[in-house]
Amino acid sequence: MKNKIISYIKSKLATEVVEEIDINEDLLGSGLVDSLGMVQLVLFIENEANIKVAPEDMTIENFMTVNHILKYIARK
Amino acid sequence: MNEQKDTFLALTKSQSALWAGQKMHPNVPLHNVVYTFEITGDIDKMTFEKAFERLIETSDILRIIFSEERGIPNQTVRSEVDFSLEFIDLTHHQNNTTIDKWLHERTLKLMDISERVFDTALLKTGSNNYVWFLKLHHLVTDAVSNSILYRRMSSFYTSEITNTMAAVENFPSFSDYIKFEHEQSTTSVNNDSNKYWEERTKNLLEKPKLYGEKIDNSTAARRITLDLGTQRSQQLRELANRKEFKGWTEDLTLFNIFLTLYSSYIYRVSGQEKIAIGAPAHNRSTREFQKTAGLFIEVLPLVIDIENEDTFISLFNRIKIETNNYLRNARPGSATVQTNSSSNTILNFIHADFPDFNGFPTKTEWIHSDHIDSSHALRTHVYDMNNSGDFKIAFDINCNTFSDATAEEIPVHFLNLLDAFLRNSEQSIRKPGLLDTAPVDELLIEELSTPFKSVIQSFEENINNSPNSVALQFVNEILTYNILNKKANQLAHYLKTKGINEKSRIALHFNRGSDYVISVLAVLKTGAAFTPIASDQPVERVKYITSNSKSVLLLSQSDLISKIDIPDIGILDVQKESSIINEQPFTNLEIQPSPESLSYILYTSGSTGKPKGVLISQQALSNYIFWAKEAYHTNEKSIFPLFTSIGFDLTITSTFLPLVSGGRINVYKESVTGPDVSLLKVLDDNLVNYIKLTPSHLALFKEKELSTSYIHTMIVGGEELKSNLAKSIKKAFPNELKIYNEYGPTEATVGCIVAEYNESNHTKATVPIGLPISNMSAYVLDEYKNRVPKGVVGELHLSGLGLSDGYANDLSLTAEKFIENPFISDKKMYHTGDLARINKNGSFEYMGRSDEQVKLRGHRIELSDIESNLTEFSEIENCAVVLVESKKTTPEDEVVNCTKCGLPSNYPNTDFDEKGVCHLCTAFETYKDKTERYFKNDEQLVSLLTSKRESNPNYDCISLLSGGKDSTYVLARLINMGLKVLAFTMDNGYISEQAKANVDRIVKKLGVDHVYGHTPHMNEIFVDSLNQHHNVCNGCFKTIYTLSTKIALENNIPFIVTGLSRGQFFETRLTEELFWDEDLDTAKIDNTILEARKLYHQESDAVKRLLDVSIFDDESVFEKVEFVDFYRFSDVSLEEMLVYLKDKASWIRPTDTGRSTNCLINQVGIYVHKKDLGYSNYSFPYSWDVRLGHKTRDESLEEINEVIDEKEVLRIMDEIGYESSQPQWENNSKLVAYYTGKQDISIKEIQNFLAKQLPSYMLPTIYKHVDEMPLTKNGKVDKKGLKNLSAVQLAMNTTYSAPRNEIDELLEKIWVEVLQLNKVGIHDDFITLGGHSLAAIRVTARINEEIEYNFPLNKIFEMPTIAEYSNYIEETLKSLLEE
Repeated sequence: MKNKIISYIKSKLATEVVEEIDINEDLLGSGLVDSLGMVQLVLFIENEANIKVAPEDMTIENFMTVNHILKYIARK
Repeated sequence: MNEQKDTFLALTKSQSALWAGQKMHPNVPLHNVVYTFEITGDIDKMTFEKAFERLIETSDILRIIFSEERGIPNQTVRSEVDFSLEFIDLTHHQNNTTIDKWLHERTLKLMDISERVFDTALLKTGSNNYVWFLKLHHLVTDAVSNSILYRRMSSFYTSEITNTMAAVENFPSFSDYIKFEHEQSTTSVNNDSNKYWEERTKNLLEKPKLYGEKIDNSTAARRITLDLGTQRSQQLRELANRKEFKGWTEDLTLFNIFLTLYSSYIYRVSGQEKIAIGAPAHNRSTREFQKTAGLFIEVLPLVIDIENEDTFISLFNRIKIETNNYLRNARPGSATVQTNSSSNTILNFIHADFPDFNGFPTKTEWIHSDHIDSSHALRTHVYDMNNSGDFKIAFDINCNTFSDATAEEIPVHFLNLLDAFLRNSEQSIRKPGLLDTAPVDELLIEELSTPFKSVIQSFEENINNSPNSVALQFVNEILTYNILNKKANQLAHYLKTKGINEKSRIALHFNRGSDYVISVLAVLKTGAAFTPIASDQPVERVKYITSNSKSVLLLSQSDLISKIDIPDIGILDVQKESSIINEQPFTNLEIQPSPESLSYILYTSGSTGKPKGVLISQQALSNYIFWAKEAYHTNEKSIFPLFTSIGFDLTITSTFLPLVSGGRINVYKESVTGPDVSLLKVLDDNLVNYIKLTPSHLALFKEKELSTSYIHTMIVGGEELKSNLAKSIKKAFPNELKIYNEYGPTEATVGCIVAEYNESNHTKATVPIGLPISNMSAYVLDEYKNRVPKGVVGELHLSGLGLSDGYANDLSLTAEKFIENPFISDKKMYHTGDLARINKNGSFEYMGRSDEQVKLRGHRIELSDIESNLTEFSEIENCAVVLVESKKTTPEDEVVNCTKCGLPSNYPNTDFDEKGVCHLCTAFETYKDKTERYFKNDEQLVSLLTSKRESNPNYDCISLLSGGKDSTYVLARLINMGLKVLAFTMDNGYISEQAKANVDRIVKKLGVDHVYGHTPHMNEIFVDSLNQHHNVCNGCFKTIYTLSTKIALENNIPFIVTGLSRGQFFETRLTEELFWDEDLDTAKIDNTILEARKLYHQESDAVKRLLDVSIFDDESVFEKVEFVDFYRFSDVSLEEMLVYLKDKASWIRPTDTGRSTNCLINQVGIYVHKKDLGYSNYSFPYSWDVRLGHKTRDESLEEINEVIDEKEVLRIMDEIGYESSQPQWENNSKLVAYYTGKQDISIKEIQNFLAKQLPSYMLPTIYKHVDEMPLTKNGKVDKKGLKNLSAVQLAMNTTYSAPRNEIDELLEKIWVEVLQLNKVGIHDDFITLGGHSLAAIRVTARINEEIEYNFPLNKIFEMPTIAEYSNYIEETLKSLLEE
């Protein structure tokens, strides 16, 4: 899952071309992903992990880094 | 390049929406998107031109042109475009106005988008200053797109000037996006999103009316820009980074903060709780598209539900979720007509910025084109284009919707809310004031310029001026000023002997008459205060008022006093003691009351079950009376009738105003029994020229001949004045009648806000109440006592000299209602409980009550007053009293007709869409194809009618011939088809002579056998039909069916052919429910219709009662005689029909009915139907004729609008013995008491019980037992629901019971829809509620559709209540489950 997410961000969402994304990199704070991109990522994760992300869960605490995202998926 | 070909493309969703807007307003620069860049630096114009050429080459949007073919727009991307830079040197024009003027004019200039979608120029404004003007059509750009173009231009310029190559960037073209959007919208990926948008925009209420203004369909707009400045912008960013607000990105959080503000703002200025706000989704969803210039944005709605308790933060938290949902569903191509039309406000949070141009300092301006989409009231843009860190907010304000003054207030109100949010995000969104501190003159009460003078002083002055003029006339008694004064002085002296002084209070219990007026004057002359108690008050109330007011004396007259014993106070019978009084001195008492002393105490309905006494000072009374004298121009010629209850505060005007003016009072005594008809006497006598009265009184004027009336001034108060009423009253009087609409609660002394009615200005439904009188101020406030903006509804508060001192003996109620004036220190302000708003012209408008107080024919009634008394009755547990207003019919000039079928908008439960198409037409589109299967052709008709020839050699069928065109055509065609026909005509006694001659001539010419049907009971049948169905046709039709079936049966004729029009099928046989079935089975429909026909003959009515209907007892009759509708088989236009009739049947249009009908009584039905229900009984069937293509809309409307001869109608009504049950009075509102407890209480007992406590106008007219009080979800008695029972339901003996379970609820919903009611109790009877066989079809079909079962039609008549039917359904379902 980790690799899928990273590669999705790299290929589709990142506002700049990047070599590598650390799992602890602040995706939003660094400006790598904007809010619309984040929504794309939510849809991507829903599809891949077969979960439903409630609008209430679409928070910075759950989606700040790839690590946060993975933890969130694990909780679901 | 030259080798490349032009590309053709369809428009995207967003482009289509813009295109449609532009098409509606072709000559308006609606979509000119204009930016100017003020560059400080030296620009080389040749290089600039080259750079722009490269921009064109690399940005396909600059090469797009639009065209339209057969109404369908498309766009072409041209391979190349000629360009030469327009350079204007304005350096010698030093002032900025020249430049601004140029920019403004150029901004508004329309572009020919079939040639070019952009316009640009470089202006030299100084030696080192340039302005780059760039205008694009919105069809190809958005804000981000402009930023992309700008940056690209800057980089090209830099590379040209430095002679370096700009980095080649790879990005998709806009054409690629267009293709991408088309693909997206056709793939299934968008399905969920599409569903989301459909759901989200469903059930939206009407759009919010900001400042009460309905949107005007025009594009003119002005932009007002608000600079938030550094401090506020910083605070906003700090807020956005606080933990409780922080979202994914700062921009997203800021958007949510602005959306919270914007929705709070819209809520505050419109009062609407469900608000849809459009916001552009940027749609540049992939990295690649972020570098593409073009129109990407799509406007999609955010739907926000505001809750009463919302704080900024609680609302923000919900908005956050709404935005998340919005974002995940905002996909390219999501916009639909529905999403586009769901909001009238826009919030645009712009993420575009414009850095320096080629390293030169640059200032970017976004110039407005003075126009916006005509469906938008307000568009709000938040941006920081220069990346300064400071936000700007641009408000684009629809000019025709808002006045200039309102427009200028908008940013102020928004900013006040924003500051409040920044100060404290945990406060209620309703709390912060929107208005800036008001100018002093709006708040300050004008101080009395003349010294205080009492009313008595002024009266006494008139005695010196004209002692012998008439002051009062009462029947034959005429009192001059001199005599009236002497009498009052005598009584006053006598009162003094009784120890009355300036602190005393005296109750006056009188009939209207000279004694009352003398007593009032006498009391005031002693310096004491009077409490008027009308003669119709029950003894208990008289006692209560006397003691509560702390009266030391009750002045009264012999006949009233005999019933009263009040031990503790003195009673003075002025009649009995007249001889002693007459011995008293004539002289004035010369007592000067102080302005603060009391003048009178007036009792009004109180919420506790006891009336409350309003204390009015001398100063308050004088303030009103002397103002009124000026304002109403009263003088010694003014004559007022005193004809209203003395306990009414409007009577204060009629009592004092003539006497301070040197004029005259004509006193009219109330009737001892029955209703007070003094007003009619006032009008008949025609002795007065002024009159003070209520709007309810005005309704009585209708029946009166007023063209010789001397009344020239009318002061109307106590209730809302409708413009229509004022208009018709004004018309009925000769000369120029002045009507003053006076508003004022007793607590502010009679009247304190007034408007003179003006026919040309007062076009809204209700006449405004106008402006405060001298020394009075009025404020419209919200619950936090903030003044609300103009146009916004709030609670009316009053302040000033006319204010009462409070309530007698009730300090806590006084403290609750008379609060500190927050605007002027040390002044009180009265909280009226009335809702009001200030309109554009600054005039106050009354908007109803905020509480339970009602007005019934001018009387102010607290419903809880009645309720408290009612619960005192031992057998009543709980009760609720409501005022049920008489059914309001829409005024004729407000009715619109469906633009397709002509159905009027006052037909029950109609719903018109934006294009003015009714819901029936809209629904019909969905099953139109299926109805076609119901219809057949001529051959099928012949084969049907000849199918039973063997059984009857004489006739194939009976043809029903009314003599009208439709039935004559049927007969002629049947003969033409070679059928053997017996013609039957019902002679209902009202067939016109010419129509009869037509019938006779036609049957002769066609050579057919013909019989007339008769019945001696026809008139009774008509009356019954008018009572039950508000028309005559229903009764007549049933008679025809009954009599013709009998003849058919006797003569063994198997078919009866009707001439019902296709539209009439839908009135009498077909319903839309019959066509719901996916696989339509006409045999099943025929079967249902047959079942309904059987039930039809079982319905109880005059026909069943009076005619021999025994033939229907045997069901085989329905097999032996079949009804066949000719027009089910044959379709013919009106024109064809008329030609055919002329040729074949020598039919002539009758002229003696004055209408297109052949029946003289027909118009009685139309008249009654229109009067009772507001629309013609032909409206519905004719709308179907139009829908089915049988008639045109114009033909239908022409027939429906035929003139009715009212005199003839009334004559026929009299002849058949019909009396209209409809009320003559306009205001027929009733008090209805609902109670729980013992069911069979004698209503009479309750009435008698209440009558001891309450005056007669407060007694409910209807008492209805309920099992349980229906409650709202907040646990309060659902009074709104209780108001919704119809007159029939109220008259029924059954207890009202609310639904018990889901099945009950479902059935109630279906009954309500089909029977066109507002509410149905589960024990109410289907038939009593007007359920007939057609309604049975509809109800049963709907139940079957919902439950997915096949319940038979007749069950509804076997189990005619919701409770029974619901049990039956439940048992059926249970047994099904068990199986």
